Amino acid sequence: MKELERAETENDQAMKLAPDEDLMLEVRNGAGETLGVLFDRYHAPLYNFYSKLTGDRTLSDDLVQEVFLRILKYRQSYQPGTPFRAWIYQIARNARVDHYRKTPRHITFEPEMVAPVMPKDSAQQLEETELLHRALMQMPEEKREILVLSRFQELRYEEIARLLGCELGTVKTRIHRAIQELRQNFKQLERGLAPREAGPAVVKTIPPRRFGNEM
Amino acid sequence: MKCEEIGELLPDYFEGSLKAGQDALVEQHIEQCADCREEVAIWKKLSLLPVEQPSAGSRERFEAMLQAYQTGRNDKASAGLEREKRGLVWNRWRSPVGAVAWSAALLVIGILAGNYLGNRTTRSNGGQDEIAAMHTELTNMRQLVVLSMLQQQSAGERLQAVSYSRREDQLDPQVMSALVHTLRYDGSVDVRLAALDALSRHGAQPQVHKGVVDALQEQQSPLVQVALIDLMLEWRDPDAAQRLRNFEQTPNLNPTVRQRVDWALSRLN
Repeated sequence: MKELERAETENDQAMKLAPDEDLMLEVRNGAGETLGVLFDRYHAPLYNFYSKLTGDRTLSDDLVQEVFLRILKYRQSYQPGTPFRAWIYQIARNARVDHYRKTPRHITFEPEMVAPVMPKDSAQQLEETELLHRALMQMPEEKREILVLSRFQELRYEEIARLLGCELGTVKTRIHRAIQELRQNFKQLERGLAPREAGPAVVKTIPPRRFGNEM
Repeated sequence: MKCEEIGELLPDYFEGSLKAGQDALVEQHIEQCADCREEVAIWKKLSLLPVEQPSAGSRERFEAMLQAYQTGRNDKASAGLEREKRGLVWNRWRSPVGAVAWSAALLVIGILAGNYLGNRTTRSNGGQDEIAAMHTELTNMRQLVVLSMLQQQSAGERLQAVSYSRREDQLDPQVMSALVHTLRYDGSVDVRLAALDALSRHGAQPQVHKGVVDALQEQQSPLVQVALIDLMLEWRDPDAAQRLRNFEQTPNLNPTVRQRVDWALSRLN
């Protein structure tokens, strides 16, 4: 009995250390419960991806669930050898695009949707964080996305290039432009001026890319 | 070096993937150039933004979804087995000759269907049907989650199930009757109230309408009773006046509820 238990914990341990790709292959072969390990690894990063992108917490929660539902439904389309991280972010982007197709957005920035800023060192830093968040949310979502992916999701530029379907050089140029714009927004907010483009940053339709199959 | 050239190096500088020599170039430049320095500073400042936490019920929702999904799959699989056992004709196809004929037939069907679907999707401009079908399927899945969560032991989870159901514009009849059942028999007043709230948007459905109106007689909690009376008034139920008069005869009726009945009756007349 004890041995069985030990075997089980060892199995759990092994699972916790296994690479994402191996776990996903198990899910693909019918072990749906293995998805729980991947959920533990990815649900918080994905939630942050969505919440930094949309500023909407309920929507972010829903979209995270949607991603894992899609993984279950389309698990057969996961090809061995595909980096899981790239695959899940692809699904995540598609889920978001599909959501906007269904429910076109009318707002991008609502003060009450902004995440609470945790008090850190000083009032000044608090204010700075708040301004930075606003400056980020003022950017068009497309530009914001590349910053979120590189700075918060810690995807490497090559991964982003593959995800967005563009050249590595393009990713770098876009990151640089996004940082320039963020800096402008931030400076203007600091000066207490309205940003250059005060209108709501409308989402540009970002065409979803697919790995062969629908996800 | 000019800012433009430095700008090209900045993303790699952020990532820390520049060669040592280039690294020094960038650092030299930003010491002198305020604009580029600020760009670097803002990139660094982004780390101030807090990591946000998903809502507390996230894991439970995932578990419920997984469970619902797997139950759904097992049901389908066992239904398939049943069919196979019954099929006598099917067994004939299992002989080697049958198998070959069968594969050939499948191949032909596959090619034909492939051609047909291929043409059709190009014509219909990107498979709108497919997306619609996918959407319906996802909606069904979400409703399965609601059904499964309504069975949970903890009132918190049932409450969540009810609020989850509110996200759907159209409810499956099964989900509706589960919500009506919750309204009538759930042990927690909060969950009953939430269920009533969720159902209030579906009053146009006769099944919901009847279920809600009938629930009044059985309710013990004054809170739910008052909410039900208000909803009947709002819906302008044709039998509302009669029902309320009957209800008023209930012995030991809470005085506040009785007052509410009187008020509702005065509004109805």
